[in-house]
Amino acid sequence: MAALQELEGIGSEALSAIGAAANLADLDAVRVAVLGKKGSLTQILRSMGSLAPEERPLVGKAANDVRGKVEAALAERKGTLEAEALKERIAASAIDITLPGRAPHVGTQHLISAIVEEMEQVFCGMGYDVIDGPYVETTYYNFDALNAPADHPSRSPRDTFYVADPVHGDPAREARAESELLLRTQTSPVQVHAMEAHKPPIYMISPGRVFRPDTADANHLPQFTQIEGLVVDEGITFGDLKGTLDHFTRAIFGKDRATRYRPHFFPFTEPSAEVDVSCGVCGGKGCRFCKGTGWLEILGCGMVDPNVLEMSGIDPERYSGFAFGIGAERVACLRYDLPDLRMLMTGDMRFLAQF
Amino acid sequence: MRVSYEWLKTMVDLPDDPDALVAELVRTGTEVEAVETAGQALDHVVTGYIETCEQHPNADKLHVCRVDVGAAEPLQIVCGAPNVAAGEHVVVALEGAVLPGEVKIKRSKLRGVESQGMNCSERELGLGDDHSGIMVLPEDAPIGVPAALYLGLADTVVDCEITPNRPDCLSMTGFATEVSADLDVDTHIELPAIKHEEGPEASELVDVAIEAPELCSRYVARVVRGVKIGPSPAWLARRVQAAGTRAINNVVDVTNYVMYLTGQPLHAFDLGKLKCRDGKRSIVVRAATEGEKLTTLDGTERTLEAGMAVITDGGEEAVALAGVMGGLDSEIDEHTVDVLLESACFAPGSISHTSRDLDLMSESSLRFERGVDASRSAAVADIAAALFEQCCGATVCPGAVDVYPRPVEPVRVALRPERARAFIGARIPTDFMVERLRRLGCEVAEDADGALSVLCPTNRPDLTREADLIEEVCRLFGMDKVEATIPAAKNHTGGLTKAQERVEEIGRILRATGLSETINYNFAEKGDLARLGREDVGLGIPVRILNPLSMDQGEMRRTLLPGLLRSVAYNLDHGVANVTLYEQGRVLLGSPEAPQPAEPDRVAGVLSGAWTDETWDEKPRELDFFDAKGIVSALLDKLRVERVHYVPASPERYGWLLPGRAAEVRAGKRRLGWLGDVHPETLKRFGISQPVVAFELDQDAIVELAHDELPFKGIPVFPGVEVDLALVVDEETTYETCVQRLDSAGGRLLVDVELFDVYRDPDRVGEGKKSMAFRLTFRSPDRTLTAEEVDAVMAKLVKKVQKSLGAEVRS
Repeated sequence: MAALQELEGIGSEALSAIGAAANLADLDAVRVAVLGKKGSLTQILRSMGSLAPEERPLVGKAANDVRGKVEAALAERKGTLEAEALKERIAASAIDITLPGRAPHVGTQHLISAIVEEMEQVFCGMGYDVIDGPYVETTYYNFDALNAPADHPSRSPRDTFYVADPVHGDPAREARAESELLLRTQTSPVQVHAMEAHKPPIYMISPGRVFRPDTADANHLPQFTQIEGLVVDEGITFGDLKGTLDHFTRAIFGKDRATRYRPHFFPFTEPSAEVDVSCGVCGGKGCRFCKGTGWLEILGCGMVDPNVLEMSGIDPERYSGFAFGIGAERVACLRYDLPDLRMLMTGDMRFLAQF
Repeated sequence: MRVSYEWLKTMVDLPDDPDALVAELVRTGTEVEAVETAGQALDHVVTGYIETCEQHPNADKLHVCRVDVGAAEPLQIVCGAPNVAAGEHVVVALEGAVLPGEVKIKRSKLRGVESQGMNCSERELGLGDDHSGIMVLPEDAPIGVPAALYLGLADTVVDCEITPNRPDCLSMTGFATEVSADLDVDTHIELPAIKHEEGPEASELVDVAIEAPELCSRYVARVVRGVKIGPSPAWLARRVQAAGTRAINNVVDVTNYVMYLTGQPLHAFDLGKLKCRDGKRSIVVRAATEGEKLTTLDGTERTLEAGMAVITDGGEEAVALAGVMGGLDSEIDEHTVDVLLESACFAPGSISHTSRDLDLMSESSLRFERGVDASRSAAVADIAAALFEQCCGATVCPGAVDVYPRPVEPVRVALRPERARAFIGARIPTDFMVERLRRLGCEVAEDADGALSVLCPTNRPDLTREADLIEEVCRLFGMDKVEATIPAAKNHTGGLTKAQERVEEIGRILRATGLSETINYNFAEKGDLARLGREDVGLGIPVRILNPLSMDQGEMRRTLLPGLLRSVAYNLDHGVANVTLYEQGRVLLGSPEAPQPAEPDRVAGVLSGAWTDETWDEKPRELDFFDAKGIVSALLDKLRVERVHYVPASPERYGWLLPGRAAEVRAGKRRLGWLGDVHPETLKRFGISQPVVAFELDQDAIVELAHDELPFKGIPVFPGVEVDLALVVDEETTYETCVQRLDSAGGRLLVDVELFDVYRDPDRVGEGKKSMAFRLTFRSPDRTLTAEEVDAVMAKLVKKVQKSLGAEVRS
């Protein structure tokens, strides 16, 4: 029968064409050529009507067989070609993963602000308030109320910026840089304001800018940042001062650092001490960073002088307290080994981006 | 204070190792700046033994010696001393030694014979006067030992920083007392005493008057006669030098020595150079008159100010700047025979001012500034007189003239040991307190109620209250021994205030937008506002610094912008083209009505260049107005400041901004600040040649207007319908106007209006026109909108917008 032969021919041709199809498009072309609307197999099926009735079942079965085989072969070949195509796409999409990523541009915090915020967190964790005060202060709050003697050298215009008083200023005195107004040289005046305004218990720190007429060089800035603390309460001891500052020092410099308290002198505290932290570079053995001593000086502190309490209207027989002061720039130097403080003030993007 | 260990050791029991003392000094509050080994001048100088001594072949007076200096081979040394002989133990300066007077010892030839060193005389070693021959050591002297060690010249100088409250430690006796308390050891201080007095009473030779008792609390004068000016004995010269003063002559050295010993500065006048009036010299202490002249010992003519204390010859011309420096005219010189010795006390404040005003510091002024113990001035004058007798061959005139208008009394202070223990937080035994206070020179008695009655020594002006004694107990006990505790903080809570948290939040948001924080000086240059092109309006008057370090820091800033622009210029000058900075900081706005200025906080930023340099797959976009506006909007939005809007900044008010590219930022009616392109003329004045966008906002207002919570807005349940709409409007019609009109035309169902394109084309859109494409979102909270509903709303909206905006609508 011619029809059966033709079917066989279509089947074998189709199978070999499927096997030869190099890609999905070729394969689809084979599918259309055989099974499409005008495909060779479709033509045969459509022409079934012209066959003799007795031939129809035979030819019909054979045609279905061929279609089944062709479809199976198409599916299998399609699977193979798709897998190959995927493999190729994957191979083509490979990238040099060492190329830089596209990072969102995130700004950085100035390291002095970062240090101040970090210290605030430490003291807030111990229940302290953070209080700020004015830059332009009176001599009373900056000196007198802090027990600084009337002829103390720190009051001289060499150590303090004085400011013109637009209301009471006397031109003759102001020509000699004498005034009752000044730029605060420490943030301690804030503590005096706090003692005047609040009854104990007082647990506070006062971070902020302070000003001294030191020409800017590697180790000095005429404007720098102090964090001073004050505690006034019943039964506050020198041991409490030590415990608080030990905690602070370890929080800022690391758990394994030791402290040392050296008696010192400050007008507004008694006893007063300077606090050293063990050198982080050599671990206290002595190296160039700590100038061979094993210690780095970090802050000044002491028990609040009874005169200071009394001047602020607090009874020194009932209350005692301690105070301390630390320079944020000093901490920055110790932490980051800055060679020159002036770097902090230029706004150099290359410097700021590092922190 | 430079403390000679050898000298100190004569007064108090010390450990052999100076480092052990240093550790105790640091522990008890004396800062040690340096520890030096003295006797370095005698490096390369050793003891030797003359094995042979023969006549020099070419010189009668020279000998050639073989000297054993402990080296492998003896040295050949040519020596000219008359007393040189074989078998002598001598001091030999080796090659490389530098003797006092910068004499360098080298290998050399003397009359044809090589000499490999020098046998030294006392004078050559700086040990005394004797130059008659070489120094001959005892027969048991070792060979090859450093001479400084053998002669006991090796010394350690401990350089201490003395805090201003401890004038007592500016003397060896005071320092020894302190050390005895630090180490809990005994002192044994022996002071020189006058052996013999002769001649007229001092009071017959000298009158003293203090015309200004507020400047001078005591003046003691003694007279010694017949001094023989010459070099000091070696021990005295050494100690003065160890303390840091050059040895000059025996009279001057004695005054310095006694000052270092006792802390009482002294001055020696050449009696003969003072005017004799009726057989007497007259010392008058008075305040200087304005413009009075005095040539001080250093040869400088000084112009004095009214109120400085001067010592005058009979009240007339000044002969010394009291307590600071002597006058040249009455100076001790080699012809001096009779000496008037001054042991006086001057007011600390006055000396401090004088020394600062004249820029003239001396060992004397340093001590007077800190406070000198007036009760001992007479005793100290006696010590000096005794040394004039001993070291200068002087005859001491009997008695002293002592004017002491206001005698110093020791202070008695009660110390409650229980209070001290409670205050320090350590169980310090009362016995410890008593013992150590006694070591410090206090007289201590125990009262019936358990308190200690402490009589404080007059050389300790810092001990006047119980707190002062508690300090002494604390530091001597040892701060390191006090147990560290944390206060209980009963009835206290703390933490940042809402406002402080918001300030920190502002920083965090700005960093998230990409800006980096910087800090600038709060100082400003007088012309900064003019440089910006900005008027004073709203900025008050400047806070003026009376003693600025430089003119560019003559006042306090009133805006953050100049500092930020300088940072931009700095970066551009250093090859950094992308500058994106912000600052949170204070400005000071003065007022003619108030002494102290207002001090509001501002937050400001600058953007110039791009966010980043060109990268491998991204071309940077130049930052412009809308980047700054985006940052400001994000900031205010995150802080939930309400009713924020932007209005064109008027060129009259905002002269430093580019007209047409600048906005005023408002919340409701309140002005929050400005943002915009900085005017090119302003940039030029700051040395900047590329565009800069900037903003400056009132941080206090933002903090005040910020909200922590806003009511919850429901998440949409029903789908929205988006419709795109293009409006062709006049160029002058703003985005804001379009949105307002669309909003009001859209009714309740219009929930979002978003601009997604702006298009200009004279041919297709028309001259002076722009096409603005909006995406409108319609949504109902309670149902899904049908296409018919949306079409109906759109039809209405289009009609209204066409009318209200005069717009042509293309959908």
